[in-house]
Amino acid sequence: MSSSVFQNQSSHRISTHGVGSVLRSIFAYRISCVGFVIILMLVIMAVFAPSIAPQDPNVQDLYHVLEGPSRRHLLGTDDVGRDLLSRVIYGARVSLLVGLISTAFSAIIGVFVGLIAGYKGGITDMIIMRITDTFMCIPGLILLLVMAAALGPGIHNIIIAITLLGWTGFARIVRGQVLIIRELPYIEAAHAAGASGFRIMFKHLLPNAMAPVIIAVSMTIGGSIMLESAAAFLGLGVQPPTPSWGEALRIGYSYLEIVPLFSIAPGLMITLAVLAFNFLGDGLRDALDPRLRGEGKKVE
Amino acid sequence: MIDRTMTPLLEVRNLQTHFFTDQGIIRAVNGISYDLHEGETLGIVGESGCGKSISAFSILRLIPNPPGKIVNGEVIFEGTDLLQLSDREMCAVRGNKIAMIFQEPMTSLNPVLTIGHQVMEPMVLHQKIGKKQAIQESIQLLSKVQLSEPEARMNSFPHQLSGGMRQRVMIAMGMSCKPKLIIADEPTTALDVTIQAQLLELMKGLTRDIGTALILITHNLGIVARYADRVLVMYAGRIVEKATAKKLYSSPSHPYTIGLLASVPRLDQDLKKSLSPIEGQPPDLLNLPKGCAFHPRCRYRIPKCFTQSPELEQISDNHEKACWVDVH
Amino acid sequence: MKSFIINRIAYALLILFFVTILVFSLARLLPGDPIQAAAMFNADLSNQEIVSELRARYGLDKPIYIQYVIWLKDFIQGDWGTSLGSGEDVLEMFFRRLPITLELFAGSVFWSLIIGLPLGVISAVKRNSWLDAILTTTSIFGVSIPVFWEGIILIYLFAVIFPILPPSGYVPFAESPIDNILSVILPTFVMGTHGAGLFARYVRSSLLEVLGQDYIRTARAKGLREKSILLVHAAKPAMIPVVTIIGLAWGYVVSGSFLVEYMFAIPGLGRMGVDAVFARDFPVIQATLVMVTVNILLVNLAVDLLYGYLDPRVRVRGNLGQ
Repeated sequence: MSSSVFQNQSSHRISTHGVGSVLRSIFAYRISCVGFVIILMLVIMAVFAPSIAPQDPNVQDLYHVLEGPSRRHLLGTDDVGRDLLSRVIYGARVSLLVGLISTAFSAIIGVFVGLIAGYKGGITDMIIMRITDTFMCIPGLILLLVMAAALGPGIHNIIIAITLLGWTGFARIVRGQVLIIRELPYIEAAHAAGASGFRIMFKHLLPNAMAPVIIAVSMTIGGSIMLESAAAFLGLGVQPPTPSWGEALRIGYSYLEIVPLFSIAPGLMITLAVLAFNFLGDGLRDALDPRLRGEGKKVE
Repeated sequence: MIDRTMTPLLEVRNLQTHFFTDQGIIRAVNGISYDLHEGETLGIVGESGCGKSISAFSILRLIPNPPGKIVNGEVIFEGTDLLQLSDREMCAVRGNKIAMIFQEPMTSLNPVLTIGHQVMEPMVLHQKIGKKQAIQESIQLLSKVQLSEPEARMNSFPHQLSGGMRQRVMIAMGMSCKPKLIIADEPTTALDVTIQAQLLELMKGLTRDIGTALILITHNLGIVARYADRVLVMYAGRIVEKATAKKLYSSPSHPYTIGLLASVPRLDQDLKKSLSPIEGQPPDLLNLPKGCAFHPRCRYRIPKCFTQSPELEQISDNHEKACWVDVH
Repeated sequence: MKSFIINRIAYALLILFFVTILVFSLARLLPGDPIQAAAMFNADLSNQEIVSELRARYGLDKPIYIQYVIWLKDFIQGDWGTSLGSGEDVLEMFFRRLPITLELFAGSVFWSLIIGLPLGVISAVKRNSWLDAILTTTSIFGVSIPVFWEGIILIYLFAVIFPILPPSGYVPFAESPIDNILSVILPTFVMGTHGAGLFARYVRSSLLEVLGQDYIRTARAKGLREKSILLVHAAKPAMIPVVTIIGLAWGYVVSGSFLVEYMFAIPGLGRMGVDAVFARDFPVIQATLVMVTVNILLVNLAVDLLYGYLDPRVRVRGNLGQ
């Protein structure tokens, strides 16, 4: 509800630069560099998991369950004797997969809907915005739980559910930007030159609304990873035996007093992943949105 | 008439205020000196970026730090150097002995506080009077600055007032402790021409009534001619000419002043003589030219101007200039 | 101001209406309808007569929009149905558990404010110092750490290694006030962390922006000390943008209550919701979703009023941001 609340998030005046300068500014800010390096490491971990992981993550060893760290199992074993380190390494796959794919879908849907809402205006805009308001006033996790229960657990359904939650944010951001940009003279010039509505939306409005979308992509990946692991923690995520951080945490939690590493290691990875994307997004925001950079005004 | 034999109210000596930025040091105020006597009105003119506002902010030490810093000089007010005071002692001077009126009436008032609160704040703070009395005096002040319905205005918020009304409120705020000195930084630039004149008359009248000295910062030579006793012309952080308003107009001596005067229409001049703007770009403060900062734009320049920077020199009574060339 | 409030309430009701449609359709999407659930109570599903009788009892033989209208009417009149799991009246369940969750909400708001506001103010006042860097990083950490992992770590620290707090469970205040407080310290802290991080970041950026405004320079020129500038001239305008994120932060508190009540075994509304999702108990799921929405809308309404109170421009003009 309360458009004052949402408006404020979506209509932050964000200066629009080209993508080239976006890339340059990523490296201009140390904090986003840290985020970028962590993300890179996670991606390498996920892609090369079979070569990095010391053991097969799915091989059970019922003679060595819930063990502490040893030379054979650097992080110990889980409740059915699988190597925890290997499972943590493989766990990056699910988290990144869910985070990246659901954010990609959310962004595509959201950008498209936002462009239409902002460009068409009127009744189309009103209906779309009321729908996003409706989605936004139910906390994501709660809606996700209900949807996971409705669709059933599993990686596909989690991706679908997170996408259904995620597009609204992008739609709002893009709409807000389009409303600002639409009034600028060069869009009118494009109209006058006889450009089609489709062409104006994708050739002129979209590139200029990109900066806040890029920030939101980074933040949304982090948020999606968090949501996925929360669902998995409640047993509504990826089904065993697929290694997943949230799932590991769910089981590890029951053995907290015996093998604390079983809970600490996967949780640390979730935190690290979410933190990395937030760092990156934050750095990007600093680089792209001078309003939040927090510099005092100069005199004269 | 102002008695110039007495000790001045304010003596600024070799004031230097620099800004330390990533691109380099900006010498916004680069060694200026002047005196101001009680009840006197001093005009400071120059293009934007010449350091006139920074020099005034430096008197009250209102330079944002970082990036700005007063690196050198003395600001002697009533015998004490303001630059040596502790922060606490400085607070007792601001708004009390020296008040300031800013350029932007739209943004210089706090949007969430009532006019009454903001006007009586300095009195309550510095004169330790009760709230009731402060309200009474504030209403009087508001009617003195000719704000309509002063009682009702006490409870208004700034956004309910027009720009001109807000600037009247700013003036009332500045006057509230009957200061010895008021610094007005382009007080009317943002306003309509008709309101400009009203407000300047008002300020002139009020300062005369309580014997307050006034530093009037502006880029408008017409305002200076009419309201100032003496004038400083600044260029690139330095004073290039210093004179009484009359002399500055009758016999401008620095090429920059001559250029400034030639670029504004004057009633006492032949209308057929066309206006001529000063050629060239305002100086890049990060990259000032060697020698006299004005030489790239100066049509009277001589070889010496490229290498040596001229100091202020007396050319007649109450008239100084910083230029190697005798322009007349 | 009056039209502003009415406007907001009308808008909240409209959104609530949309949410009931969404909730109703979601519940219908859940696999297994009430008939199958009734089988748990030994109803014989092979008997066609019994099935159609049950369908009629639950109104499932009518068109879907009629079902919606009936459901909505019943819901408004306080007939929230019975839990498919326990057979309890859902409205009674709700009000029995409400005080527990409200206590958790209050506690988490307490932590969010008491940690978030000072961190943000200190960061802004000491901007670009090493302290600012540490605090800013801490606040990003606060919004990044998953609720359930933070809970696990704190349980490990304060219940396992240093056993000073109970690892889980809830003691009613009436039973033992001290044990009650002890039992909610960890859950509320965990629920409040995200909000604390958000507040710290927004307070910092908002205060920095305000401190750069012309009217702060005016206040300095009046001779006010830094402390009174901060308290009298900067605090209120700086709070205006911060207020707008209360709605966002509140969403995290509410969803946090689901996870926290689940992992700390606290018999509140969040736990009720999670259990209902596990059991596909959809009268309870519907009631939970609607009441979560009502809760969020009420908080947002309060935020709008607070916004109007803080910003006189809204108060007078009556409408902003529409």
